Amino acid sequence: MGVEIKSEHIDIGGSNVVLASVRGGKAVIGTCSAGYGAKRGDTSAQTRLFYIGNDPVAEILCPNHGSKSSDKLISLCTGYSAMDDEIHDTLTESFARLNKGDSLAAGLHDVLALLPDGVYTIYYSDYYPTDGAGTFFWGAYNLAHEIHGTAEHNRTIGRSKTFRPCFLIPGAPLDTYDSKLLPMTNEAAKSRVCQGIVYHLSGLHSVLLKGHHGAVSCVDAKIPYKCAVIEKINEPYTDEPVKPVAAPAPAETPAPAEAAEAPTDGAAAEEAAPEAEAAPAEQPKPAPEAPKQEGITGFRSASVKIPLELFPREMLKILLETRFEYKPEQYRALIRKLGLVRKKSYSNKVIPRPVLDQCEQMPDCEMMESVFTVDKLTQGQLNALLAGEVEYNDEIIISPNFYASIVTACNYLQFTNPKKFVEFSLAILDNPELYATHEYIANRISRVTSKDVYAFFKAVLANGDPGYEKIANIADKYVTAYDKQKNSK
Amino acid sequence: MAFCDLRPVKIYNEGAGVTYIIGDVFAVYANAPQPLIYSWDLVQKVTEDKRAITIHTENCDFIIPKKDFSDQADYFRAIAIIECAQKSGGFEYVHQRRILPLKSEYIETDPGKESYYGSCEIDENDAAATFIMLMNFRLVKVLWLLAVMLMLVILLALHIFVGITRSNVLYFIPISIIGGAILTLIVYMICHAVARRKYTAVSSCDPASNEPISFIISPYGFSACESCIADNQELIPWSSLDYFIESDKMFVFYKDGSTSVFVPKKAFDKKCIGGIADIISLRLEQR
Repeated sequence: MGVEIKSEHIDIGGSNVVLASVRGGKAVIGTCSAGYGAKRGDTSAQTRLFYIGNDPVAEILCPNHGSKSSDKLISLCTGYSAMDDEIHDTLTESFARLNKGDSLAAGLHDVLALLPDGVYTIYYSDYYPTDGAGTFFWGAYNLAHEIHGTAEHNRTIGRSKTFRPCFLIPGAPLDTYDSKLLPMTNEAAKSRVCQGIVYHLSGLHSVLLKGHHGAVSCVDAKIPYKCAVIEKINEPYTDEPVKPVAAPAPAETPAPAEAAEAPTDGAAAEEAAPEAEAAPAEQPKPAPEAPKQEGITGFRSASVKIPLELFPREMLKILLETRFEYKPEQYRALIRKLGLVRKKSYSNKVIPRPVLDQCEQMPDCEMMESVFTVDKLTQGQLNALLAGEVEYNDEIIISPNFYASIVTACNYLQFTNPKKFVEFSLAILDNPELYATHEYIANRISRVTSKDVYAFFKAVLANGDPGYEKIANIADKYVTAYDKQKNSK
Repeated sequence: MAFCDLRPVKIYNEGAGVTYIIGDVFAVYANAPQPLIYSWDLVQKVTEDKRAITIHTENCDFIIPKKDFSDQADYFRAIAIIECAQKSGGFEYVHQRRILPLKSEYIETDPGKESYYGSCEIDENDAAATFIMLMNFRLVKVLWLLAVMLMLVILLALHIFVGITRSNVLYFIPISIIGGAILTLIVYMICHAVARRKYTAVSSCDPASNEPISFIISPYGFSACESCIADNQELIPWSSLDYFIESDKMFVFYKDGSTSVFVPKKAFDKKCIGGIADIISLRLEQR
């Protein structure tokens, strides 16, 4: 049976989502389970593989019995040198078609045929070519280590929200890097609509299938690294029914005492309280129960939630009649190769220094988590946080945990409003009661070059206040670097 | 997840005109345009009895008659998927007695090169014989004691009712011994019948007793799974068992004081039995 690929555009809340279904897919690019680490003497860590053709590319160790809330340990597989020519050619052709102006569905058609059966969403998104911790992605996964942000269910973002993956894992080893190709990709990157093709792997991380050299060029030229993303939709989700708000009491009916305890803002509370005392207590009418939905609400991927009623019938059938993840035909070959020894113990290829420096300045995983966690942060909410509150107008601002709220707010501001970030961070550092957050905040703010920060750190060093003992080292480094930079100008 | 390669099972109930799909989720296609879909964490209980599998959710109970499964392999696949989902979904699972371990006990792991693979049906007579051997193993001292006691009781009865004298004592002693032996033999035969019945009661509940079973003995664990769904990548770690007993026909693994699985020796090559015994005895206590 040949590969059957269908694509559909659906409208979710005004935004257009492209769905593509694959039936009879070749399953030469994808992920599969590789069992438990019994041979490592660890039966609590599940191993998964990202494979291309007959080669295991990345080994993903999922601790705590593959818990979806735990970050993964990811490393490029030993022995992997490059992808098969046929797969490489298909990716190159699709990449060229996308840049010639083909639609996502048409451009990625041949790539989708290489994937396992299932339903995918395809879209364009900007990526940061880092591992999420400031290291350029193409050399960041030689040793297995925990990669922050790779958990399927991000604890900061929460399970109900969607997020766009934005960090990369290489689909080709660093050995394939060729500096001679850079002049060509530097030129091409300037005119490309699509800089790469990525396959979403886990959490905030995707594997780059095509466009590795382009990533170097884009970082160097500070061009946004816009990629065509393929993301599998395979997780059922159930939305809690929204409890309708009780109908407001008519004007002549005084608000009941209990209701007055939870006003929408302070002023309203002051007005409501005396009336409540004067009037006899009257039980509010209970809000009508929302009809509870039977079963799940829909299926989701990292970036999109699709309610069942919006699913095309055929696609839903594919989703139900295939397993979310299954072993490809070449599974035994993959497992056999998993234990191979790398031909070279390390790569002697060197990425240009300015590119690596640029990557260190890029938003990191904590920042992106905060961006996806916080919808909006008003000045009133920031003031409440500075006053040590976690609630504003009777609503939790970010989290019931105060320190988590401070950290998330800082990271959010660092991404969305750098000026406000500096103000907010300095206000926290000025407050000795928030001592526990000082080291973290000082570390974050030390990445920003600002006169105010310089002045604050200089004052910290000059005063020698024991309350700032923990951040003295950071202040010293910052002041030295700032002075050096100023002198060099 | 273990058994992640098993294709979802589609079951059509002609009477109700409903199609059920048991896979990564549980779906019900009834008259509505959209199917009703439950993730396994929304399922509260699954009951498997002689006639049907019932899936209980908060508001509905879905009864899937076993006769609606198009073939036996589909039934085993559905049961395996449900048992694996039980591990992650956490629902209550009520089932009939089994001759094989539940699929939720398996972990996915490569058995490795030093593993032994075999396949056969579990023969009812072999299993019953092993049950009897185990019973003998436990009852042998009790039966001797019983025989001696019965002899004394018969001797005492003869003394009370007939009266032992010098002339008849030589007859009464052999009569007591033979009487005691005969009664003990009767008790022994009853126990045999009970042991055989015990096995047949279990095997009649589990359709796997009529299916070829694939066995793996690996340094990392063992597997005993219906051949139609086995893919030789799932094992139960040795650490989940307590001890084993070896008979001339089988290895019997024990967990929490009761038999977990019978591994017939005839499933493997004769020359492999020594190696298998070595693997098992290095990892489990032999009793």
